Amino acid sequence: MATLKPPTNTHRSSSSSHSSGPPKAPLKADATATIADTVVFQGTYPVTIGAGTVVHPRARFYAYEGPIYIGDSCIICEKAVIGAAPSPSSRSPSPSRTADPNITSSESGTGTDLKKEAATRISYFVTVGPLSTIEPGAHVHSSASIEALAIIRRGADIGSHSKVCSGVEIAASGPVGEWVVVWGSGPGQRRKRARGAKAMSPAVVGAAQISQAPLPAPAPEGRVIEDARLMVLQKEREVLGRMLVPAAGGKKK
Amino acid sequence: MSRPFPYTYISCPCADTPVPDPARKRRSRESPQKSPQKPPPERANLSAEDRKEPTDSEQHEEDEEEEQTFDPRSPRSNFSLYPPEQLLYCEECHQIKCPRCITEEIVSWFCPSCLFETPSSMVRSDGNRCGRNCFNCPVCTAPLAVSTIENATGNGAQQGPWVLSCGYCLWTTLDIGIKFDKPTNIRSQLQKMTDSTAQPTLDRSRQASRTFGDLKSPLSTFASIDEQSAAREQDGEQSASQEPEAPPMGTDARFAALKSFYRAQIAETSASPNDPLSTDFGFSSPGALNRLMSLYASSSRLSGLYGGSKKPKSKPPVMREAITASEGLQLAPENGDEDLIKRITSPSCGWDGMASTAQRAAQSPDARFTDDLLPLPVLLRTKRAKRCKSCKHILVKPETKPQSTRFRIRLIALSYIPLPTLRPLALSTSSTLPTIAPTPDLNSLPPLRPVHVLLTLKNHMFDPVRITLATPPVTPGNVATKVTVLSPQFEIGANSDVWDEALQGASAPLKGDATMSGMRGVPEAGKVWDKGRNWTTVVLEVVPGTLPGSSAEGGDGNGEGDEGILAVAGQNADEDVLEIPVFVRMDWDADAQLEQGNIGKGSKPDDKVTRELAYWMVLGVGRIQPSL
Repeated sequence: MATLKPPTNTHRSSSSSHSSGPPKAPLKADATATIADTVVFQGTYPVTIGAGTVVHPRARFYAYEGPIYIGDSCIICEKAVIGAAPSPSSRSPSPSRTADPNITSSESGTGTDLKKEAATRISYFVTVGPLSTIEPGAHVHSSASIEALAIIRRGADIGSHSKVCSGVEIAASGPVGEWVVVWGSGPGQRRKRARGAKAMSPAVVGAAQISQAPLPAPAPEGRVIEDARLMVLQKEREVLGRMLVPAAGGKKK
Repeated sequence: MSRPFPYTYISCPCADTPVPDPARKRRSRESPQKSPQKPPPERANLSAEDRKEPTDSEQHEEDEEEEQTFDPRSPRSNFSLYPPEQLLYCEECHQIKCPRCITEEIVSWFCPSCLFETPSSMVRSDGNRCGRNCFNCPVCTAPLAVSTIENATGNGAQQGPWVLSCGYCLWTTLDIGIKFDKPTNIRSQLQKMTDSTAQPTLDRSRQASRTFGDLKSPLSTFASIDEQSAAREQDGEQSASQEPEAPPMGTDARFAALKSFYRAQIAETSASPNDPLSTDFGFSSPGALNRLMSLYASSSRLSGLYGGSKKPKSKPPVMREAITASEGLQLAPENGDEDLIKRITSPSCGWDGMASTAQRAAQSPDARFTDDLLPLPVLLRTKRAKRCKSCKHILVKPETKPQSTRFRIRLIALSYIPLPTLRPLALSTSSTLPTIAPTPDLNSLPPLRPVHVLLTLKNHMFDPVRITLATPPVTPGNVATKVTVLSPQFEIGANSDVWDEALQGASAPLKGDATMSGMRGVPEAGKVWDKGRNWTTVVLEVVPGTLPGSSAEGGDGNGEGDEGILAVAGQNADEDVLEIPVFVRMDWDADAQLEQGNIGKGSKPDDKVTRELAYWMVLGVGRIQPSL
């Protein structure tokens, strides 16, 4: 995604009144959010960023088709694209239009319902990996993670505690349930994660039956893994916040 | 032939002599003396008009002498052509060795994940999988990490249950309800959990089958299953007392039980005293066939003769099948299929709950759902030594240690034969700066227009080498491309120290032509194009032939390459590829070694021996345009 960046003063003013260049999206960020310098906010609809969220440099928010809500304690990695850049037909060509063909093609396909407002929602504790794309109207529920280069098409719904592995593309308005891992390539394969305590593998049960040994003690619930992951995520965010602050030169007012 | 143009391949001579024998050594050494002395030097210098005429006769000659022109299009040559880098060289046979004429032997087994070397005895007993902590995810095959649960949740030190977890698809052993007590030796922990052939079990089942076998030993003379089962019912109380309590066996245990059962059956039936023929033949011996034949002959003939009223006395015993669970019999459950289907259709399973064929491939055959999948220990890899097939000389021997990437012995062919590289000469030969002039597009060579190609041979030996190149004047196949090597005989300097050249000036290694600087410019017959310390470049003049059928479609094919090429390729795949077979004969004066065999053709006084090596190589120049 080689992009032509506008000068880095883009996100600085939430209520920007620059007449030249693409419109600045009105930004409403929590005081505890960490937003890097070079993040791009464009569009006409507001962008809301929750408390404790970390936005890496060169992430891009395009609020042309609807507002963008980012919940608390999320991590938006570098060069992630949330929303869609304006299509050349509907807008005057902006210098910062993304070169991603996926976006522009789907944009032109759905050019008719641009009037409709499509809110993009990302709930709390979500990780959005580098270079991933979340198109307008998608809804990512809490504690989900979108890995690098994944593409979430319009109107897709990613359930909580789910994971979209890198490079996977979730089809438009495609649902992904809770506690599901979508892995592989293209549309990907799906797998349910262990949430509660799972029954012991039949191989183990059978073996124990034969050898008439007592069954091994039951394993804890699968949830503990997720708890651990979220805890690590929390730590990562804290460290990131510290690292990004000097570069960002101050958080949002 | 998927390399980009231009490419070079070298043909391993083993294609002509598939059976490794000493005779082949002699032949391959003789052959170069014959062929290059015949036509190539003069032939290459023939002028264009009289080139046509002698071609046919020469080819006839060649055919008769079984020293045929190598045809890169023949189906067989696919198997003998290799990129120069892939070839080895046997110093004993003095011959190029391709992957087909070497044998491999395993030097060491190691786990690619932990680089731990596994002794081969352990590989034989435990299978070729890592015996320590290395596992792959059964769902997505990513490597699994051992991690603790307690520590992650924050309460406690480094102990507590441990799990294997996949960083990619977030699979953990908690998905199948397994945790480990120690972070080490996971494989044995897992084996203890899942091994259905655990020691007590195995003993018990074996004992059971043995006692059962003892019990049945008088029954082994029963002639048929019916009688046997009837008899079994008689003493059913003994076996019935065993059966119900016998637990369902695991796959491994069942296999072991069946194996021991059938072994016992073979022993009993073949060593039966009633069988006159097979007293000392087992099933695994060729006598088994005799026994079977006699079985058929006796039963049919005897019953025919005596009307079947009289039972043949010596009816041989028949092997029976396993009939109890302890022998390894497993009955399909009453409504197992329905249960399966119910489980598949249940919302908790669905399509995503089914294990894919890729996932099931390495699992137990009973595993159908993702919940049945067990983590897979990492497959081991090997380091291999390579030997010459004909003389057993070691060609490649890596260091045993998995961490080391070095080789103790590595005789690659490129240190013995010159490395050929090919590049097109700029179109305008009159230009003084050939590199600036446009080079022809190798993917669409215009037919009937001469192209000059530079062939550079780079010597890696420490002796200067004399090279003779020979090509058939017209390439074999349907597309007759004329090829001329402008200077078929030349020398390549030794691969001496780079500093030698610098220190001694340009005199010593470059004793070729004094007019070297003037050679640039026009390719001239009989002169090498360029020459360096250990390399020499010669010019090949190539006149691509016309493709068959291209004259018919020549009208519309106005430089529109793609369709034309497709059309031609449809007729005969890759017929437009211009490949030139070149016979290379090299000879050099090597230091005489202890064992010289029968080489010494022109052995020199100062312990120098003239060595020769000859082989075919194929130069892939480009694709011919379908039309002008």
